[in-house]
Amino acid sequence: MTGPDRDIFPIPSPGRFRHEFLLRKPPFWLASLVVIVFLGAFIPLALIARSRATTSEKPRVHLMMDMANQPRYSTQQPSTVFADGRAMRAPVPGTVARGMLADNDHYDRGFELVKAGEGEWQISYFNGLPANVKLDSRMLTRGQTVFNIYCSACHGRDGYGHGAVNERALEKQEPKWVPAANLHTDEIRSRVDGHIYNTIRNGIRTMPGYGSQIDVKDRWAVVAYVRALQRSQNATLDDVPSDQRDKIK
Amino acid sequence: MPLLLLALAGGAVYIPTVMYFGMSPTNTDVGYAPKQPVPYSHALHAGQLGLDCRYCHTTVEKAAFAAVPPTQTCMNCHTNIKTESPLLAPIRDSQQTGKSVPWKKIHDLPDYAYFNHSIHVNKGVGCVTCHGRVDKMEVVRQVQPLSMGWCLECHRAPEKNLRPRDKVTDMTWTPAEMNTTQEVLGPELKKAYNVHNATYMTSCYTCHR
Repeated sequence: MTGPDRDIFPIPSPGRFRHEFLLRKPPFWLASLVVIVFLGAFIPLALIARSRATTSEKPRVHLMMDMANQPRYSTQQPSTVFADGRAMRAPVPGTVARGMLADNDHYDRGFELVKAGEGEWQISYFNGLPANVKLDSRMLTRGQTVFNIYCSACHGRDGYGHGAVNERALEKQEPKWVPAANLHTDEIRSRVDGHIYNTIRNGIRTMPGYGSQIDVKDRWAVVAYVRALQRSQNATLDDVPSDQRDKIK
Repeated sequence: MPLLLLALAGGAVYIPTVMYFGMSPTNTDVGYAPKQPVPYSHALHAGQLGLDCRYCHTTVEKAAFAAVPPTQTCMNCHTNIKTESPLLAPIRDSQQTGKSVPWKKIHDLPDYAYFNHSIHVNKGVGCVTCHGRVDKMEVVRQVQPLSMGWCLECHRAPEKNLRPRDKVTDMTWTPAEMNTTQEVLGPELKKAYNVHNATYMTSCYTCHR
């Protein structure tokens, strides 16, 4: 091949190729260092991948705290200041917070003490809802929600006493377990509203009181819902609105 | 010389990568599952027995803080169930001495972030959205990063995570149960529950007070 083409597209001879494209062979120490650094660089990545795929019992580590933990107490935090180890304080004995006087026997307790003789008092449960409780569908729905959260665990959603906790305790043959009451017995149906309210608040026999978990308003909602539940299980045709009776006859 | 440049370029990519993935809360916080004083199983109580979340975490609908239950809540049932169990000894001790059981807090937001459980629960954000399938956890672990970016993802588009209020504690709820999709239901609920607009939801003051 002759002419200008030869200069534009040079065909490299083997010797020239070797000379131009091969780097000098690096010294052994440098080569090993590169290999070690390169492989070592994967260790943190592997650790990160591992920590993302597993759980850890160890407390979290934050390199930059940025005031995430400030020297103040949050809800339910422990404290070394007080003898009981709690940062949250109970009201001072003998004091009542605003709105917590609970001076309405019917609303707050469901019963009143009636004088039965010299120095003797008797519990008298109120019948019916207190005057300041309004019965409407919204309140009944709330009662259903609260009943299903707290009561249904033992009494079951239908009130027959077949809740999951009750069934498991019976299945495990727990020696101290007393089966949950069926709310549709004549005995419980005949109890007045104040009695049901007091049972929710303070418990009865082996049933614990739920006063600390259910507030006053919700307790009355549960009373109303229990009444609705009881009526639903003992309903007659007369309970059905007259225009719908034909549908279910 | 070219080798040195290559190493510098590699380091420039490598170090930020490791910092980003290593220091992000997804790495440092997710998966935190401390050993508790009593090996309480949510899988048994919330899953198998089907106790509602609110049976124990009573304050969640009304307060900023979803309270860890007092010893009395455990004793509601355990006065009569598993009364001799050695695993429950710390609970019985706590009831006798009046001292709190030192439960370990798992989900911990920075102190400068204002977070209120009640508003989220009452506007239809489900427990499972942030806490994962607690009803399947023998030991509770953190499943979401709880980072600011993660919060904002939802605050920018809350309709993606809204559900009817009465399904908030339902761990298995899906829009399909109501023959609808999240794309349809979400915006409806956002309107029905008066969820604030994006400007308010992403303003600094909403979470940093």
